[in-house]
Amino acid sequence: MLELQRNVIFGQFVETGSVVHRMDARVKIAATFVLIVASFLIDDFLGFAVVLPLLVAIGVVSKIPPGYVLRGSQIFLAFLAFILAFQVLFYPADVPESSYLWRWGILSVSTEGLHTAGIIALRVILLYYVTTMLMLTTSLVDLTNGLELIFGPLQRLRIPVNELVLVFVIAIKFVPIFIEEMERLARAQTARGLPFDEGGAITRARRIGRLLVPIFISGFARADTLTIAMNTRSYRGGRHRTKLRQMRASPSDWLALALVIAWILVAWKV
Amino acid sequence: MQPDGTPPVLELKGFSYTYLEGTPRASEAVRDVSFRIHHGERVGIVGATQSGKSTVVDSFAHLLRLGQGQVFYEGEDVADPGYDRGRLRREIGIVFQQPDSQIIEDVVGADVAFGPTAAGLSAAETRERVEESLNTLGLPYQDYRLRYVHAVSGGQRRRVAIAGVLAMHTPVLVLDEPMAGLDPRGRKELLELLIKLQRDRELTLIVCSASLTDASLLCDRFIVLDRGTVVMDGPVREILGEADRLAELDITLPEPVVGAREMQKLFPDFPTDLLTEGELESELLERLGVTT
Repeated sequence: MLELQRNVIFGQFVETGSVVHRMDARVKIAATFVLIVASFLIDDFLGFAVVLPLLVAIGVVSKIPPGYVLRGSQIFLAFLAFILAFQVLFYPADVPESSYLWRWGILSVSTEGLHTAGIIALRVILLYYVTTMLMLTTSLVDLTNGLELIFGPLQRLRIPVNELVLVFVIAIKFVPIFIEEMERLARAQTARGLPFDEGGAITRARRIGRLLVPIFISGFARADTLTIAMNTRSYRGGRHRTKLRQMRASPSDWLALALVIAWILVAWKV
Repeated sequence: MQPDGTPPVLELKGFSYTYLEGTPRASEAVRDVSFRIHHGERVGIVGATQSGKSTVVDSFAHLLRLGQGQVFYEGEDVADPGYDRGRLRREIGIVFQQPDSQIIEDVVGADVAFGPTAAGLSAAETRERVEESLNTLGLPYQDYRLRYVHAVSGGQRRRVAIAGVLAMHTPVLVLDEPMAGLDPRGRKELLELLIKLQRDRELTLIVCSASLTDASLLCDRFIVLDRGTVVMDGPVREILGEADRLAELDITLPEPVVGAREMQKLFPDFPTDLLTEGELESELLERLGVTT
């Protein structure tokens, strides 16, 4: 039966009590930002190879089972493979004749095309992995607080940081809710003779398309309810709100951030 | 097996289920649940929230990732490779707790017709069934067939959802919290309707609820779940007789049973296996030595 939650891990938080989970959220956000920047700076396979042990170490220390991450990334990886196939087959740059491995009309496979697609794939996978790990190891409350504290100084420039962070966090929070809702709808409609557990991939995808209207309706209803609930509880933007939990970064948190920065510098310069 | 050799309509044998099994977010919903439901029975599956009722309901129509040897419909293992799940779902009609989730089409008539057309019935037969189902549920066919589903009230949407399942003429009807969200009048009407339907169509009726208030008038037998396991299974009166235990399980008791528990402060042996206010009154008058 359709169990979408098994296949989508984006926006999920999994508590394992690991060192990574206990780290200060601001430090984790900063480290994620460094790794995101790294994904744009590094432009060769050796650089990515240097980053790999760091990513493996983060995965091991966080105690998030790699099988869970891989299974939950299947849809993303399939989509990425599809995009990259286009990138390789329609590689637009001028390529020397000797680099072509295969050619048929406007379609071709060249070493340059494969190299570029490989680097893009590694970049996207690095981006996806670090943001996913941040969400898997950081609760939404910590993520919100961390982002508000990091971007807080921008409020002096009249940028509505708290409101923007709130919108971002609610958007992420709605992903697993929508997935759960979709599962519930799929089960109910399967029971009425519209099976979501039968047929090929295209048939199933078409049937999922039928769920979009009810999902949107329930999404708007939820957003409406949330707005009313926040208004009735005196929400008036974040500037004047106090915090229940005070964040404190320990020396080991800063050390971890320094290690990530140093590691990335090495990967960039090799 | 019944004395005449026919297998039970539904049978669960050591049924266990864990959502997202094998992931860090795995959560066990039910453990080692076993029971049999025979043709024509009216069974209430009751328990507090998180007791596993909805998981059991979903298992009936194979809406979960089931392992073999756990769920049987008319003696056949529904998880056997090659088992016709389409037929199973045409024979077990489920009305879910939230009616919106099972409404497929935008217009009332088209939605009720969804099941019959999916089963391949002719246009005339489908129309007949839609008309019959809507009229039965107090939604006159001519008035409601072209109305938008999202424009009718919550109570009416629940009726549309039930009509959609009734139109499939399933021999088994499962209702998950059928009275939730209905006002007292709507509840009374639905209760009377379900009793009539069960009698007229000789349905096997399964009702899931955290409250025994309406289920005790609708069912002959209760299966009580607590934290994913069956803790009581027996005739309604027998189960109501153990009112203290039911209260401990956070199950809402019917008014007569609540009254009987109060009476136990005066008469410690006051029975709690009462279905109606009338029975409570008679018992009380008898205790007081008043003859009517």
